[in-house]
Amino acid sequence: MSLDAVGLEVMGHAFASIAEEMGLVLIHSAVSPNIRERRDCSAALFDAEGEMIAQAAHIPVHLGALAESVAAVRGLDPRPGDLFILNDPYTGGSHLPDITLLGAIDLDGAVGGYSVVRAHHSDVGGAQAGSMPAGAREIFAEGVIVPPVRLTGEVERLFLANVRTPDTRAADLAAQRAAVERGAEGLRALAARYGLAATRAAARDLMDYAERRTREVLRRIRADGLTATDWLEGDGVDDADLAIAVRVDVADGVFHADFTGTAPAARGNVNCPLAVARSAVLFVVRTLLPDDIPTNGGVQRAVRVSAPEGCLVNARRPSAVAAGNVETSQRIVDALFLALAGGGIPVPAQGQGTMNNVTLGGVGWTYYETIGGGQGASRGAPGPSGVHVGMSNTRNTPVEVLELECPLRVRGYALRRGGGGSGQWPGGEGVTREFEALAPMELSVLAERRRHAPRGAAGGGPGALGRTILNGATLAPKVTALLEPGDVLRLETPGGGGWGEPEQGAKR
Amino acid sequence: VCLANPQSEIRNPKWGGAVLRVGVDVGGTFTDLVALGEGGDIRVRKVVTTPADPAVGLFGALDVEGLAPSDPVDVLIHGTTIATNALLERRGARVVLVTTRGFEDLLWLRRQDRAALYDLARDHPPPLVSRGDVVAVAERMGPAGVLEPLADGEVARAVAAVRALAPEAVAVSFLFAFRHAAHERSIAAALRAALPGVPVAASHEVLPVFREFERTSTTTVEAYLRPKVATYLTRLERDVRGRGVAALRVMTSSGGTLPPAAAAARAASLALSGPAGGVVGARLVGVAVGVSELLTLDMGGTSADASLVTGGAPVGDGGGAVAGIPLALPAVLIETVSAGGGSIARLDEGGALKVGPESAGAVPGPACYGRGGQRPTVTDACLVLGWLDAASPLADEVRLEPGAAERAVRSLGPAAGADATRVAAGIVAVAAAVMARALKRVSVARGLDPRRMTLLPFGGAGPLFGCRLADALGMRAIVIPPHPGVLSALGLAAAAERIDLLASFHRSLEQLQPRDIAGAFAPLLAEAASQVPGSTVLRYADCRFAGQGYEVTVPVTADDPRQIRATFLAAHRARHGHAGDGQPVEIVNLRVAALREGALPSFRAATRGAARAPRAQRAVALAGGRATASVWPLDELAAGVTIDGPAILAGRDATALLEPGWRGTVHPSGAVLVERR
Repeated sequence: MSLDAVGLEVMGHAFASIAEEMGLVLIHSAVSPNIRERRDCSAALFDAEGEMIAQAAHIPVHLGALAESVAAVRGLDPRPGDLFILNDPYTGGSHLPDITLLGAIDLDGAVGGYSVVRAHHSDVGGAQAGSMPAGAREIFAEGVIVPPVRLTGEVERLFLANVRTPDTRAADLAAQRAAVERGAEGLRALAARYGLAATRAAARDLMDYAERRTREVLRRIRADGLTATDWLEGDGVDDADLAIAVRVDVADGVFHADFTGTAPAARGNVNCPLAVARSAVLFVVRTLLPDDIPTNGGVQRAVRVSAPEGCLVNARRPSAVAAGNVETSQRIVDALFLALAGGGIPVPAQGQGTMNNVTLGGVGWTYYETIGGGQGASRGAPGPSGVHVGMSNTRNTPVEVLELECPLRVRGYALRRGGGGSGQWPGGEGVTREFEALAPMELSVLAERRRHAPRGAAGGGPGALGRTILNGATLAPKVTALLEPGDVLRLETPGGGGWGEPEQGAKR
Repeated sequence: VCLANPQSEIRNPKWGGAVLRVGVDVGGTFTDLVALGEGGDIRVRKVVTTPADPAVGLFGALDVEGLAPSDPVDVLIHGTTIATNALLERRGARVVLVTTRGFEDLLWLRRQDRAALYDLARDHPPPLVSRGDVVAVAERMGPAGVLEPLADGEVARAVAAVRALAPEAVAVSFLFAFRHAAHERSIAAALRAALPGVPVAASHEVLPVFREFERTSTTTVEAYLRPKVATYLTRLERDVRGRGVAALRVMTSSGGTLPPAAAAARAASLALSGPAGGVVGARLVGVAVGVSELLTLDMGGTSADASLVTGGAPVGDGGGAVAGIPLALPAVLIETVSAGGGSIARLDEGGALKVGPESAGAVPGPACYGRGGQRPTVTDACLVLGWLDAASPLADEVRLEPGAAERAVRSLGPAAGADATRVAAGIVAVAAAVMARALKRVSVARGLDPRRMTLLPFGGAGPLFGCRLADALGMRAIVIPPHPGVLSALGLAAAAERIDLLASFHRSLEQLQPRDIAGAFAPLLAEAASQVPGSTVLRYADCRFAGQGYEVTVPVTADDPRQIRATFLAAHRARHGHAGDGQPVEIVNLRVAALREGALPSFRAATRGAARAPRAQRAVALAGGRATASVWPLDELAAGVTIDGPAILAGRDATALLEPGWRGTVHPSGAVLVERR
């Protein structure tokens, strides 16, 4: 059976609403601020062959990488109704705080698909509260590693015994499990209504449709060996710059990104598995597509990613990876946009290019926040200010929530006036957020664009550099520290690059 | 679902003499009027809206119907889009925002998520305040109270700074004012004394709940709307009284009605005044036919609004945004999708058929209106399928042209398939899918199973889609209300007087005694009694597991914390599929709704209908192929008549379609109860 124009739209809505419901169940019933307030989580539905049917649009870096999680679980002889958990970056995960729950959906006694929910848990144990330690040299320091296993009560107990905030984790896992179950129920209801074969065929047709549309768009793009190199500002152990090199070829409607020339895996934790690199490439391709193409496995079919074994973006165990997911993924996006811009393809100027990861924690509590900045300007539009760019789209933690739940005070939260790059269309402005510690606590900051500013495009100026300031002293891009009550941490996030030459007499 | 026996007794209205209740719903295209008279008769009128001054159309409708001053009107209840349109068109007051120093950019920072995940050029709509119109105040409250005192000199300085900006309205929002309002109170009092005539909205009065961005945004909306709403309502009240109407009331987003002075002081609570009337009307029809679990769908010209009634009451929603501006006030749950009669169908680049969001609006309107529209709309598709009758004009004045509809629909043809009928069938299928998704968002996504509910479709085109939507959601029962095209106005005419009050009360349920709960509700109950004397008062608590960020609102029928916990656990399990064993539960807010019911409409006039047989037969195209449908006059059906699908029920203000396999029974109220055969 092949879907006609109508069935395509009808079934697209039906699958999408299942994924939406999964996301709502998680956000509305989780307890940690990182999931419920910041929505650092994603939900998706996969078919039995491991291709993504539909997603709830949340966090780009999660969504492109979930297919690897499903692939890892499919290798474990899943039985209908089985529930799996994983966070191992080297078998289906991204970085350790991202815990993925996968349900093998029982459709008429066979596995008819997978309900997948990934959430960033702001504590998975490891050397430092918050589990995002700058300076980790091996993955073992970053937290407890959970390879793909069935989530039994005993596995959960083992996991909870390795974290600092077990009650919070248990409650968040319960919400995540409920979200997985909601997805399974949704797909079962759909299959009961339309029949198993028709539901399956509809999912395939939707992916074929997305692939066809994606390839049509890509066929209109001329990219033959476009290259670019951008830089990571140290790995938390060494401060030296690390190259992210990419070559883009678009041929026959397939977007191929190759990372030959990228630095080898680093000693610190800016490494990432290839899944994360694939996510970043997929994100860039998705920005080239019109809104009405559904984001599903069909888009991924038009994307190829290659990287030398053991390089920074195709790391091998036991390389540490906490920052790779959040920072290296951003730099991959920047390098890709740079390459495309070099080929005359009208992509936006570089955005802040970092997530400004701040992790704070003490006895019985952890807090993780990423801070927005300037978006790069586009041809025809200024860059939005104070938003997450690229691979993140989390919300902030409201000041009132933060102060009610953590021994912290927010002394100021504002846009960085004038921080956007100049241009015919100026870049977006970054953000300042200033915290005061009210108790002793551990701090970890993972950030970028502290010395290489986000570049403008087509003659536009660069965005302002970011800064991390502790009690008036500027810190390195990636740093850990112990804070005492009264210490003041100030983050100034980068601006976005401008687009086009500034006009005469332009303000910025 | 067991529908009430059609012969069951209808509740009689309690008219206090020769009085009339009139509901007027001013929509984007039409102004609808419903008058409830002594003896329960219902008079209905539809006139064209006058956007420049909605009052003109409103009085026009009164004049056409020959009401006031000739007939004494007891109360005129108004559903207005003045607040909605002021937000959509950005035509509110110039507002100065007074806020905590260091946090002046809150409205621009929003929650830092971007407007579109993959469209990097798209930005959020700008705030309602200019950045130059923000006045920072040196003060700070924290979770436990004062961190930085508010000095007298600082109050004077801030007032002078506000005065220098010459605002039309002022919003005051300080951090933690939801819990510690002293600083906000001082500044608001000083501003009110210094700037008489300039409305001042303070966040602890407008929305005393945590999350500073949403509270500040909502407070700003209140200030932005208040002058315009107050001016409109003051003038309207004067004119209404001049015509001998005894009282004017205004529908709020939460489905209650307020006197004009109170409504003007809660302008932001009018943002969904229009759609709320429809949900109230749907509830009344549910009462009349004895159904308390309803999924409602109001299909208008440019959009469709899904909502629900459960336990006989509309469901509230505390979140959301209007016109891209976050507005977190209590409102009837409304999920709006762009699938109205005027929504335009097109093929995208990949050959998929899309409906909306673009709409043909009132001008030029669907192609079949013959007013110059060329592009196919949902209404055109319905006409091509034979669901609408070209011989019956809409709203007495619009004649439908089948030829124009067919040409427009056929223009999509070559890519989508064969003939016009097939394309039209595709258009209605896609529109139905879009509406089904909205219906699922208000039901399934909230843990409510639509299969155990009754669908109530209304608006001009809603009843055409009833069977199809019920099918898509696995529902087995549908109620087609009497006068489906003007149900919103009917809801207005019969709406209760209602006020919603909220207080922040952040306490662990386990540590509360019954007297604590009674004591905390006491001030809210006193205020409710003074604002709506003689009202019935309902108490609710927003509860959550300690640490969660979203609450579940549960009714509080006794002061017993254990009972509140049990109610919460059941509600949480129903909505989220789990309820943590032994996890501590906390109350976050207390809510009180005070309502005084108006007289219920009897709908008895509708039972005087005499039509017991179809008036005609017509060829229609349905999902299963071509069929011959019997055509019945919707407004004149005799009680007790049964109608088997396929059938068209054509009324003056709406048309209904019964698909094969469905059987309708005419209830004495004039509603048609439709069930699977």
